[in-house]
Amino acid sequence: MSNPSQTRALWVAVAGVPLLFAAIAALQVKIDAGTRAYTPESEELLLRSGTALKKMSLGYDSLLADIYWTRAVQYYGNRAGIDGAKFDLLWPLLDIATTLDPKLIIAYRFGAIFLSEPPPAGAGRPDLAIELVKRGIAENPEQWHLNADLGFLYYWRMKDYPNAAAAYLDGSKNPKAPVWLKLMAARITEKGGSLETSRMIWSQIYETSQDKIVREKAMETLRGLRAQEDEAQLDQLAQEYQNRFGHFPASASDLRTGGLLREIPEDPAGNPYVFGKDGKSRLDPRSPIVIPPPLSPPPEATN
Amino acid sequence: MSATVGPVAINTFREAVRDRVLYNLVLFALLMIGAAILVGEISIGIERLVIINLGLTAISVFGLVMAIFIGVGLVYKEIEKRTLYSLLAKPIRRWEFLVGKYAGLLLTLAVNTAFMTLGLAAALFYVGWRFERSDTSILVAIYFILLEFALVTALALFFSCFTTPMLSTLYTLGIYITGVFADDIRAVGDFTRNPAVLGVTRAIYYVVPNFHNFNAISMAAHGNAIPFTLFWQNTLYAALYVAVLLLAASAVFSRRNLK
Repeated sequence: MSNPSQTRALWVAVAGVPLLFAAIAALQVKIDAGTRAYTPESEELLLRSGTALKKMSLGYDSLLADIYWTRAVQYYGNRAGIDGAKFDLLWPLLDIATTLDPKLIIAYRFGAIFLSEPPPAGAGRPDLAIELVKRGIAENPEQWHLNADLGFLYYWRMKDYPNAAAAYLDGSKNPKAPVWLKLMAARITEKGGSLETSRMIWSQIYETSQDKIVREKAMETLRGLRAQEDEAQLDQLAQEYQNRFGHFPASASDLRTGGLLREIPEDPAGNPYVFGKDGKSRLDPRSPIVIPPPLSPPPEATN
Repeated sequence: MSATVGPVAINTFREAVRDRVLYNLVLFALLMIGAAILVGEISIGIERLVIINLGLTAISVFGLVMAIFIGVGLVYKEIEKRTLYSLLAKPIRRWEFLVGKYAGLLLTLAVNTAFMTLGLAAALFYVGWRFERSDTSILVAIYFILLEFALVTALALFFSCFTTPMLSTLYTLGIYITGVFADDIRAVGDFTRNPAVLGVTRAIYYVVPNFHNFNAISMAAHGNAIPFTLFWQNTLYAALYVAVLLLAASAVFSRRNLK
């Protein structure tokens, strides 16, 4: 049974502790406001050596790798899409995460995307992305997905079709690899840089990836590639229209009234294509579709 | 095994429970709940990996802290409180007292680890709504962590037989850290190619307990199978090392002047 003084002490604590915490929080806000002025804006990585961190982790390197991977994700997420944003610490963070845990497959795969995407979506460093994925393949030779990622990087980001074909071919030697890797190698050797090949690669990425973000990106690119294909066909029809009527069509309706089209074509987002004075078809400015940058012409087919 | 060891062990366990040692489970539960809810929001594709890594790391760290800080006081506390004298007046030999104390703390750690394992399993189920066959590696990793506790507890008990808790903590921690770096110490000797240095580093490598052997956290997190050979080799290694330490501790304690 508690006496009155104990009860009083309890009530003082119940009321006093939250009040004191509120005062502490308010004081911290003041301190933050005062110190922010002379806190350097640039972030730093105190330790850049993954090997040193691995030693210092006393065997808990796996958890540390997860922490560094999460830091890399946060670092990328805070910068992606912002014009002029720098990604200076992205590579060191990924380097540390994969040195601490060389089996952290997700860090190689997504890290390569973060590094290779052109600014402002990413660091615009496909060379580092390739280095990262190559390191992943060396540490995890059983992971054919990494070979496919390497092939994609060479194909899409570097336009280096011989190396892209070689990467897919290497991956196809893995007994667990699906047949399409070998087909892809043959296809790139024969028709690298073509729209069909690009569509095939992105379709495979869409079908084989489990990740929502990657699938969305693949779908977005596939829609862009379809629009690119539509534009190429519309340009041909516009040229034919010009041959018949002596001037380029002002809109897709002109092509229909001229008997060259049955229906007015729409891009994958449902917007009709528009025509410039030069007779070239374009996406409607309101369309959310993004046409990927053109690839280099296909290399000479090898026997 | 002597019949007096059991009661000492049970009483050591009860004492630990009375001292609210198992309260650390609350912290562990909060850690697991927090990780299970938050990781998916702040990272990509590593929900399961983080739960396993964090769970196993927490089991290991919490257990090591308990093994060291309780282990170093096992004998010292009994002498300080003068309860040892009344105990030794009974038909119990000093080595039986030591082994009983050791078994009691190990039982406490095992019970603590068992509850944490349940917490880890619950968090793992929460993030995936299923268990995978490869999750058995997690149980093997936890068994290795228990072997590590057995070794550290024996080290702490050994030092507590002849020195103060503060120094015992320092010595146990020192040997633990040396044991974690055992591979690197040997590598230094191999690198220098100096026969004297090589001899010293090799001696350290074989004398200090090689805690690197017991680290299977990464393998378990990635769902890799842990070879059965490693299972029995680690068990034997820990058993031999614990036997050495308990023998040495008994020898020191039986010669200690308690007057």
